[in-house]
Amino acid sequence: MILKNLSKRYLVSGEYLPVLDDFTLSIEPGTITALVGPSGCGKTTLLRLIGELEQPDEGELVKSVEERGPLSYLFQEPRLLPWHSVLHNVELVMRPWYPEKEERIARARDFLTMVGLSDFTTFKPDQLSGGMRQRVAIARAFAYPGHMLLLDEPFQSLDTNLRWALVNAFLKLWNAEKRTTIYVTHDVPEALLMADTVIRLSSRPMRILENHTIGTPREERSLGSPEFLALQARFYT
Amino acid sequence: MNRSTWNTNLITALSVLILLGIWQIGAVLLDAGVILPTPGTTFSALASVVQQKPFSLNILATVARALQSFLIIFLVGGLLGILSGYSRSLHAFLVPLLVICKATPVMSVILLAFIWFTSGTVPLFSAFLMGFPVMFIQVEQGVKLISPRLHEMTVAYGFTPLRRLIHLVIPSLAPSIITGAKASLSMVWKVVIAAEVLTVPRYGVGSRMQMAQVNLETAEVLAWTLIAILLTAAGDLIFLSLLEVPRKLRERRSKLLEAIR
Repeated sequence: MILKNLSKRYLVSGEYLPVLDDFTLSIEPGTITALVGPSGCGKTTLLRLIGELEQPDEGELVKSVEERGPLSYLFQEPRLLPWHSVLHNVELVMRPWYPEKEERIARARDFLTMVGLSDFTTFKPDQLSGGMRQRVAIARAFAYPGHMLLLDEPFQSLDTNLRWALVNAFLKLWNAEKRTTIYVTHDVPEALLMADTVIRLSSRPMRILENHTIGTPREERSLGSPEFLALQARFYT
Repeated sequence: MNRSTWNTNLITALSVLILLGIWQIGAVLLDAGVILPTPGTTFSALASVVQQKPFSLNILATVARALQSFLIIFLVGGLLGILSGYSRSLHAFLVPLLVICKATPVMSVILLAFIWFTSGTVPLFSAFLMGFPVMFIQVEQGVKLISPRLHEMTVAYGFTPLRRLIHLVIPSLAPSIITGAKASLSMVWKVVIAAEVLTVPRYGVGSRMQMAQVNLETAEVLAWTLIAILLTAAGDLIFLSLLEVPRKLRERRSKLLEAIR
C-alpha cells in the first residue's frame, strides 16, 4: 500500500490545524508496520484514513489487490456490543461473508478458542475482565475476513503482564494468516518486538523521522540484546 | 416476603388508611353526599357500577381507545424520534409541531377535535397529540446517547443500516423507549378519559363519569374515578410485566441449556 501526499487538517476554534501535511509512506503487504510517535501527533488520524473512516483533504491511498476490500479494526477499547454474548459479538461481524450460520459459529468458536476464551462464549462483555474483553476484540478482528488489520493502541490501557499475553495471542493468530497490519502505538518495546518495520514519527504536522526495518526474526528478538537496546535508545530520543 | 418489603407494605397500607380516614372525616363534617360521599357510599356505588350491564363494554371501549392511541404514539413517536435524532433537518421541521403539542392545553385540543371529528375519534386524536411529544422527545434524546465508538465500530465492520438498527440503535434506545412508552401510556389514560367526559361517546369510562355528574351522582363519579385509577395501575403493571418477559425467557433458556449440558 502506498500513501501518497496525504494531507488532513481539522477546524479547531476557527483555525485550521494541520495534522498531516504531504505525508507519503509505502507499506509492504503481509507485514506488520508499527507507527510510533508522541501522543496527538496524528497516528490515529492516519489509521482512520487508511481504514476509510475519514477521507483525506488531499492525496490518495493506493492499495494492492490483496489489500482492497474489508478491513479489520482493533480499537483502543474493545467496543463490544454489551447486550450480545461473546460468541454473538464475534459471529455478528462475519454475517455478510459467511452466510451459513453453522460455518460462522464454528469460525467464531475457533478464534475464541485461540485467544483462550472457549469457556466464555455465552458470557456478556460486562461479565468479563478488561483483558478478556480485549481478547474478544482480537478474536473478532481476526475472525472478520479483513484484508488488512488496523490496530489503534489496542493494549495501551492494560497492565504489563496482560499486555504481553495479548501481544502473544495476537502474534499467534497473525502467524497463522499474515495479513498486512498497521499498528499504532507509543510503546517502543512493544513495536520493536511485534513489527517488521517501525516508523518513528514527529509531532504535528506528522512527518517520518525514521523508517527502520527489523531483520531479526520475532522469536529471536530480545529487548535486552545490544541491537534492541540501541534501537530503544534511538527511538526514545 | 423479607422484613424490609413487609415494612414498606405496612407503611403503604398505613398511608392508604390515613387517606381513607381523612376522606371519611371530611365527608362526615360536610354531611352532604352530593358534594363528598363517604368512602362506604362510594364503594357501594362502585359495586353497583360493576354490576351494571354495559360495564365491561364501557371498560373495553376506553381500553381499546387507550391501546390504539398508545400503539400509534409508540410507532410514530418512536420512528420519528429515531429519524429526527439522526437528521437535523427533520428535527428543525418537527420543532413547531412539538412546541404546539406541548403548549396547547389538553382541553383546547379536545374541544377542537370535537369540532373536527366524531366523538369516538376525539379521544384517539387528543391522546395522540398529547402523548406523541413524550415518546418522541425520549427517543430523540436517546439517539444522541448512542455510543459514537460503537457506531464507529459498526462502520468499520461494514454493518448495513438495517443491521446497525437491529444490533446497535434499538438496543441502545431500549431504556429511552421504555421510559417514553411508560410516560405516554400514563398520559394516554388521562387524556382518553378526559376526552370521553367532554365528547360523551356511547360507551366509555369518561362518558359514564359525565352521565353520573349530570345526575349529581357524586358517589358514582368517584366510583368511575376509582375504576380509571385501577385501569391506569393495571396498564402500568401489565407493561412492566411485559418488560420482564424477555429476561425470564433468557433465564429459562440458559437453565435449559445448562440442564442439557
